[in-house]
Amino acid sequence: MMNGIMTLARKEVKTAFRDNIFLIVTGLFILLSVISVYIGSSTKNEELQAYQDIVQLLKGQGAATLPSPPAIYPLSVLGNIVSYVSMIGAVVAIFLGFESFSGERNNGTLKLIAARPVYRDQIVTGKLLGGGMVIGVLLGIILIFNLVLFTFVSGMTPGADEIIRLLGFFLLASVYMMVFYTATMYVSIKTNDSAFGFMLMMIIWLAISFVLPQLAESQRNFAYALNAASQTVTQVPSDTSVSKMIELFSPAVQFQNIGKDLLQVIPETSDIGIGALLLKQIGAIVEILIPGLAVLLLSYKAAQKEEVI
Amino acid sequence: MLKTENLGKKYGDFSAVENLNLEVKEGSVFGFLGHNGAGKTTTISMLTTLILPTSGKAAIGGYDVVKDNLKVRNLIGYLPENVTLYGDLTAVENLRFFGRLSGVENVDARIEDTLKLLDFTDWKNRKVKTYSKGMRQRIGIAQAILHSPKILFLDEPTSGLDPQGTKELRDILLMLNQERGTTIFMNTHLLSEVTKLCTDIGIISKGRLLLADSIKNIEKEFPEEKSLEEIYFKIEGGK
Repeated sequence: MMNGIMTLARKEVKTAFRDNIFLIVTGLFILLSVISVYIGSSTKNEELQAYQDIVQLLKGQGAATLPSPPAIYPLSVLGNIVSYVSMIGAVVAIFLGFESFSGERNNGTLKLIAARPVYRDQIVTGKLLGGGMVIGVLLGIILIFNLVLFTFVSGMTPGADEIIRLLGFFLLASVYMMVFYTATMYVSIKTNDSAFGFMLMMIIWLAISFVLPQLAESQRNFAYALNAASQTVTQVPSDTSVSKMIELFSPAVQFQNIGKDLLQVIPETSDIGIGALLLKQIGAIVEILIPGLAVLLLSYKAAQKEEVI
Repeated sequence: MLKTENLGKKYGDFSAVENLNLEVKEGSVFGFLGHNGAGKTTTISMLTTLILPTSGKAAIGGYDVVKDNLKVRNLIGYLPENVTLYGDLTAVENLRFFGRLSGVENVDARIEDTLKLLDFTDWKNRKVKTYSKGMRQRIGIAQAILHSPKILFLDEPTSGLDPQGTKELRDILLMLNQERGTTIFMNTHLLSEVTKLCTDIGIISKGRLLLADSIKNIEKEFPEEKSLEEIYFKIEGGK
């Protein structure tokens, strides 16, 4: 039984990495994530340099007290990756899955698979495992690239806590991308038209990643703070029950919230330990998992129908 | 080798196949003839366990196609109409995938033997998307015979092939039948292919079997008709 699943999974990996369009999207994803680390690291270095310049200036003026140095959370330089995975990672997963069944149905290979001694649910599991392996390899490459670049540009070596947080983030990113892959696979089971399936998933992606977060934003309360030194007014948003309710339907928002906490992007929550952080975000984690599990169960059920072949 | 009893398939009120009683002997080449939409593909889909019958039963090698579907799948090879395989994989990679799914042991050695048998070793490491229709069809046959099936199901195997490709495919099927003893069940609407290849035929129209017998017996039964074509149109017209 496992042989059939592994054979299907290996084939998924092989065909994915031979598909030029998928390779282009993947290349773009890796490139953007690397650029984001470079920019993040450079910005952090500039902040530190600015602090040292101010300290030098104040010392030169004979100041008695010096400002305390800015808190340094090394992982925060990777902060932009949260947005890239949330946006482009989801698109990569859609690219990976949109022909998983409809493409095979159109080129006749689904009949060849189904006429062999494998069960339909093994076909779904094999494709799921294959998709997971591709996403795992992809995120693994990004992780290694980013760690190397992070160390090279920032001159800092991540400690054990940072590495655990980073691994936690990439595990979360895999789950998030798998939710999109599974949903796309379900659409691919249900439709013969790959282009329609792709467009439908892109609309869902737009709704989850852009429309719902903006809708939630519009329902927030805003307080205003005046910055006397710079003569500017700053908006300070606070959640309302309506904005929270809207965000429940967007795994992208949940992913970004957990991801930013894991990578210590938000100073207020950066000191929370990994255990406490997971407890704090347990609701958000469940909100990412539930739609994924729902479409997975629907996929198994839909694959049993004979018109799938 | 293959037996059906009152086999039927309904989609709502529409009967795609009705009360099909058919027997295909081991070692024969059975041509299943009929117009487009006559019920040939529905029949082959039920026999290859892809869809479930709504009435009657069918057995292959003594195994029921519904209850023992996995055992049936071990006995059969199948080539659907217009299959393109995985274009980004080579012939060997395609065959390795299907061979492993069928549980073939020493799959690489078996692929080599099969490709030699089909005279295809020169192109084995090229991506399938670069092949002509005839070459793809040969790889399609290769995936269907890789696990040495007892019976081979082919759905319109010469569809889209040029005369040269059609002849090459016919020679391969004859060789498989005569040298390996593989039983062949072939859907077609080309009478010329049937006369050159088949030992037995069945004629289906609007989901009903009109006739099934050996070509020799059919020719005896219709002494006034000069060719299988005339017999076919007489039976079809009579219906």
